[in-house]
Amino acid sequence: MSRSEKTSATVKERADIALNNDFLRKAVRFTTERLRNGKQLASTEHGNWDEWRERGRQIRLHTIAHLDYYLNLFVENARANGVHVHFAEDTAAATEIVMTIARHKQAESVVKSKSMVSEELHINHALEEAGIEAVESDLGEYIIQLAGEGPSHIVIPAIHKNRYQIAELLSKDAGEELPPDTTVLAGYVRRKLREKFLDADIGMTGCNFAIAETGSMVLFENEGNARMVTTVPKTQITLMGMERIIPSWEDLEVMATLLPRSATGQRLTMYMSGITGPKRDEDSDGPEEMHMIIVDNGRSGQLGDPEFQELLNCIRCGACLNVCPVYRQIGGHSYGGTYSGPIGAVLTPALNRNVAEWDDIANASSLCGACYEACPVKIPLHDMLVYLRRRKVERGHGNRWESIGMKGFAILMGNSKRLGTALKMGRILQKPVVHNGTISLKIGPLKGWTTYRDMPPMADDPFRERWSKLEQELQQDQVTMDATVKDRMEQLVQARQRSKRGDFDES
Amino acid sequence: MSLDTNRSNDLSKSKATNIANTVNHNATQPPWLAELEQRSRRNQQTFIDHISSRLGRPRATEPPIHPFRGAPSFWKEWSWEEQERVERFTAHFQEVGGHVVSVDNLEAAGEWIAQYAQDLEAREIVRQQLPELEQLRLEQRLPDAHLAVWNEDQQTDWRATAAGADIGIVMAEGAAAYTGTVMVTSSAMQGRSVSLLPTVCIVLLYKKNLHTRLGELLVPLDQRGRQQLPAGVHFISGPSRSSDIENDLTIGVHGPGIIYTLLIG
Ligand code: SF4
Repeated sequence: MSRSEKTSATVKERADIALNNDFLRKAVRFTTERLRNGKQLASTEHGNWDEWRERGRQIRLHTIAHLDYYLNLFVENARANGVHVHFAEDTAAATEIVMTIARHKQAESVVKSKSMVSEELHINHALEEAGIEAVESDLGEYIIQLAGEGPSHIVIPAIHKNRYQIAELLSKDAGEELPPDTTVLAGYVRRKLREKFLDADIGMTGCNFAIAETGSMVLFENEGNARMVTTVPKTQITLMGMERIIPSWEDLEVMATLLPRSATGQRLTMYMSGITGPKRDEDSDGPEEMHMIIVDNGRSGQLGDPEFQELLNCIRCGACLNVCPVYRQIGGHSYGGTYSGPIGAVLTPALNRNVAEWDDIANASSLCGACYEACPVKIPLHDMLVYLRRRKVERGHGNRWESIGMKGFAILMGNSKRLGTALKMGRILQKPVVHNGTISLKIGPLKGWTTYRDMPPMADDPFRERWSKLEQELQQDQVTMDATVKDRMEQLVQARQRSKRGDFDES
Repeated sequence: MSLDTNRSNDLSKSKATNIANTVNHNATQPPWLAELEQRSRRNQQTFIDHISSRLGRPRATEPPIHPFRGAPSFWKEWSWEEQERVERFTAHFQEVGGHVVSVDNLEAAGEWIAQYAQDLEAREIVRQQLPELEQLRLEQRLPDAHLAVWNEDQQTDWRATAAGADIGIVMAEGAAAYTGTVMVTSSAMQGRSVSLLPTVCIVLLYKKNLHTRLGELLVPLDQRGRQQLPAGVHFISGPSRSSDIENDLTIGVHGPGIIYTLLIG
């Protein structure tokens, strides 16, 4: 099991491992394709998409620019609601608070709903070391937990497992042979987890949004497990990144419009729950005691940094993963951190404040700009990847050749932003390093690509066009997908179309 | 399913340790929790000050002007006529696997539910403790089924009752046609479990409470304000579902796999 933030293998090595796993690539591509199309469908159906994106961006920009005010307001209101609020500047502090609560509750088991922050903090590991069972209740998370792995996609954590692998894992768990049938497998998990919910001493959740003006927390989900976690156990612990704040319920409409459509192509997730404090005196369900742990863990490092502050606007929808040609090629685990894809490539080194790690992950991106275009809050991830490279070189972690190249970057980046310039630069920068018509020294935006794919010099062909060719190429690759796997997947899609349930409508 | 029987005893006596909505609960806290609270208040200062200093300015204490509050303005003015609201809501709710049934009044709703329960041979039914739901007269209509009314006594473990129920019946406070969403809230009489734990969930919705946009449900929550908000506000847009196994849609993963909205009026 590899849940450590940075394993010894490089991204390249991990990508090679991933690339060897045929199914992984096919499954990842199939799913991301479907979700991406679903998103396109949902966002075209929903008119004025760009106006909504701009609105989402403005709300996030505003909240982050006044984060001290809004976070404090949230804390005061949540306390007044009866929530025990805690602050944790890093993993150690957050873990200590969780363990203190667990110890005093004499907890034997904690049942969890999906929380990227808890992955980031490796809370399960800490709980297990203390002899406390930590049960992931999201179906996909439960599966990868049995497999002893981390999530490979923000929204669909078990995207890399097929039903036979899942049947095998669950059969072992059940102590009896379960057929590789989705309904049977999901039914088994439902029964098994019902018991876990009713037995658990503590329910642990993440937090999609926290509403400053009323001190409420909001969770988006499809399965109902987050509702279970916030309804059944007597104690609730919510882990929340300090930037999850929005001012009001009214602002939630914008987030509720952007997040599900971007994540899974849904109009809204099946459940969106707003929790305001623990259960009231007279209530017969809901947590009696509610804790919220507000986590910094490197986030404040982005505040006040003009190049990276917008990272805090991220609403963790995963849209940038689904459109990223590199993610689609290598899958989530290759990134080696909690967060994968373009957002992970920037967020992981930013949270870790570790310059030396930057090159590795930042290069796992093509700088094609697709992530920016997909992002519902318009975070310029591709620009950030260039900044990361530049900083790494500035701090002496690059070699001499790269340094020369990156100075060129700095000069060019000085007077223009975004894709066009970066791409033109890509062409200019090739000049000193092109030998015999191929790129021998890998610089800046090209490095990732030339490491993972053969790429001829760009010559006069703008990267943008190349990107569309590349995409065609990737789609052609799909034709070579194992025929039986492909058949099965196509049947599923068709069946769903026939059933008129909305073919691109689930998570 | 195994139920922890100790838990049910705990539930009824839980009131003593409970935390009310607005009271200062420090007095009744165990020492470890009081200590955590104190630490929290100390850390709050440093934590928030650190944010201000990263933002490069003194701590902001005045509410900032928020020029972009809520949806874009073209959206806020937009709405569908009732007929279209009903059609869209129905289409959207059904598209994701939910069911919508139109009935004239509560009497008809009661009749429909009784028929449905008989067809499915439902044995355990749980409903919220609301006057409207009483008017469904399910006790008379379904003499053979066991009908539990949420929180009607102190002895029962209500969570366990809901978990064992075939059908849970709740009243929606409102709905949004655009997303196909019903909103249910929690209170002593309206357990959150009733819409979550039973196999089938039936939601009653008055047509007059069916709006166009989600914002029409959210803005009133701002207006209610912190102190008037229920502990749980749940927006439900269809059956519990997952596609985590090979993208293959499964319903009823944790919550009800079957959900009906009875549109009244
Ligand atoms: S960076 Fe944008 S697209 Fe990527 S997860 Fe965050 S909000 Fe979604």
